[in-house]
Amino acid sequence: MSTADNMVEIRQVSRAFDKTVAVNRANLTLAQGDFLTIVGPSGCGKTTLLRMIAGFDEPTEGHILIKGQNVESVPAYQRSIGMVFQKLALFPHMSAADNVAFPLRMRRFNPALIPELVEKYLDLVKLGHLANRRPHQLSGGQQQRVAIARALSFNPDLLLLDEPLSALDKKLREEMQLEFRRIQQELGVTTINVTHDQREALVMSDHMIVMDEGVIQQSNTPREIYSRPGNRFVAGFLGVTSMFKGSVVAIENGALSVELGTVTLLARGNEQLFSVGDVIDCALRAEQIALIDTEDSRYDNSVSGLVRQRIYEGDRMVYEVQVEDTGGSSVYVFDHDPGKNGEHDVGASVRLGWNAEVFYAFPVVEKRVL
Amino acid sequence: MQLIPSKKWVLGSLVAFSLITLSLPTIIIIGASFTSGEIIQFPPEGFSLRWYRQLWEMDDFRSAFVRTFQVSAICTLLAIPVGTLAALASVRYRMRFQRSIQVYLLLPFTIPLVVSGIAMMIFFGEIRILGQLWPVGVALCLINLPFMIWSVSSTVNGLDPELENAAHSCGAPPVQTFFAVTVPAVMPGIITGALLMFILAFNEFLVSLFLTDARTVTLPVQIYNSIRSVITPDLAAVSVVYILVALLAVWLLDRLVGLDIFLKSR
Repeated sequence: MSTADNMVEIRQVSRAFDKTVAVNRANLTLAQGDFLTIVGPSGCGKTTLLRMIAGFDEPTEGHILIKGQNVESVPAYQRSIGMVFQKLALFPHMSAADNVAFPLRMRRFNPALIPELVEKYLDLVKLGHLANRRPHQLSGGQQQRVAIARALSFNPDLLLLDEPLSALDKKLREEMQLEFRRIQQELGVTTINVTHDQREALVMSDHMIVMDEGVIQQSNTPREIYSRPGNRFVAGFLGVTSMFKGSVVAIENGALSVELGTVTLLARGNEQLFSVGDVIDCALRAEQIALIDTEDSRYDNSVSGLVRQRIYEGDRMVYEVQVEDTGGSSVYVFDHDPGKNGEHDVGASVRLGWNAEVFYAFPVVEKRVL
Repeated sequence: MQLIPSKKWVLGSLVAFSLITLSLPTIIIIGASFTSGEIIQFPPEGFSLRWYRQLWEMDDFRSAFVRTFQVSAICTLLAIPVGTLAALASVRYRMRFQRSIQVYLLLPFTIPLVVSGIAMMIFFGEIRILGQLWPVGVALCLINLPFMIWSVSSTVNGLDPELENAAHSCGAPPVQTFFAVTVPAVMPGIITGALLMFILAFNEFLVSLFLTDARTVTLPVQIYNSIRSVITPDLAAVSVVYILVALLAVWLLDRLVGLDIFLKSR
């Protein structure tokens, strides 16, 4: 694919503040019409990266290209980018319709066409009947919709979302996630969304980037990233993940034998990264663990443990199980059908089983001390 | 449960007491101004508008009233741009010595008015502008500016810090952003501050006393001068005029900004 087909291209972009590096040599390309979500804990650099794309901040190194054009010398107000801000930043003195019309007036659209476009976009976000309300007369969800309409009314090349859903309650947030996705697909607008909410990233995007400490950790489809985490951070960040410390005892035919506490288990990992004797972390997702009765040959690995805690969550039962075999560490286990499988009381001893292909081994990297 | 009636009673009497003590002087002065007698007294002796007619016929009071208006207008017109920009800058923009500048802008509060008055009298005398009317307006703006800055700052604090960025992303260049987005968004604070500045300047006495002479005397100073000679009910009538101006300001505030917003000092 040539660079002109990419709506956004980021090449080796870094942003350093006085003593910290907020973004460290980030690279990404985004095709026309794609929905990308950048996810990571707060302070991981995702917002800084977004603000550089919007033009509110400048890279200290590297280049940002939009539609193949280097945008370094283009101020924010000359970029064709719509943005929905974290606290929305609606203009408080303007009605919903005037908020939506503002970018059209500023970008010198034909005044005769503006009312029609305002109506079209307010209808798109299902707010046509509230056009004359001021922002403070609208509910949180309605304000969201005004902000979306304002960001889209001038048909921008790119739509940026800076955690706009983080302030909403869970139900409204999930509703708005689907709404964003519907509008984005309806208009086919290239979108970059920034969030710390992994569920939002998984639900909304075609493409996903996980960031930590200013570095892009992994970039792929949500499904691929969730099922094949590229490193320890990504494995721990997504899903409910338990970590085991251990060492490699053997490598054969693509499978690793790892020693965790008193047991030797099978794990999966990139052979090239390991040699026998290496210290490793093994990651295991709660939904991949089965509660089994006795030795069960369907599972590559099995250990026994004690139920420490039992949490009823309606659609599932969550157990915290202390695993003696692996040195006393705790793991979380989901049981999605406690009615059929039977409940285990706190203090009961249980047996856990899982397969090698969902047991990811990662080399232990010494965390940088800042 | 038994507490509630007594609580109601205690609260009710506290409110009534406050209302009475706050409004009693006003009621007395309004009543006294309508007297037909020769001295200020309450309840008034008969009813007449003679002291209002007298007031209207007294040239020095009338011209003092006009001058007070001019001084207040100068003060307000000056305070609007200065106070608004100072408030925006000290709250919104990161700059060196931000804290120090914020404190510096509030300094007029810490200086006794007598000291400000003497200092400005000497300074204005040195640069040969003492005796004109406009320096009084400038002086009143100076001593009351913190009110304007506070009023605008409280509105600025309530704004989304990304407001200007939002305007940029809508395609508005900096100058247009300022006039089409920033200024209208802080307008409630500007109006509140401007009315406050106007009323404060209208009522200001101490500093005006130092800076005015017989040709530039303002209403509060004029009242002070006349009570030193003889106290007649025309003073009560002047006070009622003052009350009306204040009421007008409150009414304007309510119409333009909404009193609920002002009281919540948003």
